[in-house]
Amino acid sequence: MTDLAPDRGAFEAEVLPQLDSLYRLALRLTTDPSRAEDLVQDTVLKAFRSWQRFQPGTNIRSWLFTILRNTFINDYRRRQREPIPMDLDAVEPHAIFRAAEEEDPEGAFFSQIVDERVLAAIDALPEDFREVLVLSDIENLSYAEIAEVLGVPVGTVKSRLFRARRQLQGVLYDHAVEMGYIRARDRAPVKP
Amino acid sequence: MAGGPNCREALELLQDYLKQELTPELEDKITKHLQKCRPCFANLQFERGFLEMLDRKAKGQCCPDRLRERILAQLRDA
Repeated sequence: MTDLAPDRGAFEAEVLPQLDSLYRLALRLTTDPSRAEDLVQDTVLKAFRSWQRFQPGTNIRSWLFTILRNTFINDYRRRQREPIPMDLDAVEPHAIFRAAEEEDPEGAFFSQIVDERVLAAIDALPEDFREVLVLSDIENLSYAEIAEVLGVPVGTVKSRLFRARRQLQGVLYDHAVEMGYIRARDRAPVKP
Repeated sequence: MAGGPNCREALELLQDYLKQELTPELEDKITKHLQKCRPCFANLQFERGFLEMLDRKAKGQCCPDRLRERILAQLRDA
């Protein structure tokens, strides 16, 4: 190894523990296991080649997620049909809680839904919502870290996260009703 | 929010509260509200239940061993 070659040992020590997280984000972005594997592999190689630009002590996860997302946007994103977002401004902010609170105030019905169905519901979210939800609620990044990865203001992250959670809760609630895990809400007008 | 927050204010801050992104002072005010307001506390529990479910179901997915091996081989050759 020459002095200019990246230090593979240091790189592996930092990056290999993040492979599960990288793979999960790649899966949600590509919605395809084989493309997700290729995306992670490309991401790690790109990260290795630009390892000297990584500032030790800064957030390795944000750095890797940024590379993965940029690689996805540049090389992987296909023109895919995006689900039409609900008219979110018309959604009452706590609608799902209000619908479920009498029968299942702790939202136990969510846990009855099989994993695959939950993951499919995440994958069906519009991409802007999906990536915020994954980075926040699965990978536990802070608002500031997500804003850095996505290159958007913190306020945008917050509002996308709010909408992503509401939309996902709505889809999962409807599924739970369909499966009989919870009774359909009374659709009569709310008492004044 | 000169005194304690009302329910609307507390619910507006619930997302930031759950993400532990409030200032300690504001977090404390919301905690106090949630301790004495049953409907808002129920809402908190519901959101927590949702987030815990999401974490459990999605964290089950891990990088496959064959991908890990492919990456290690690629790094050796890089």
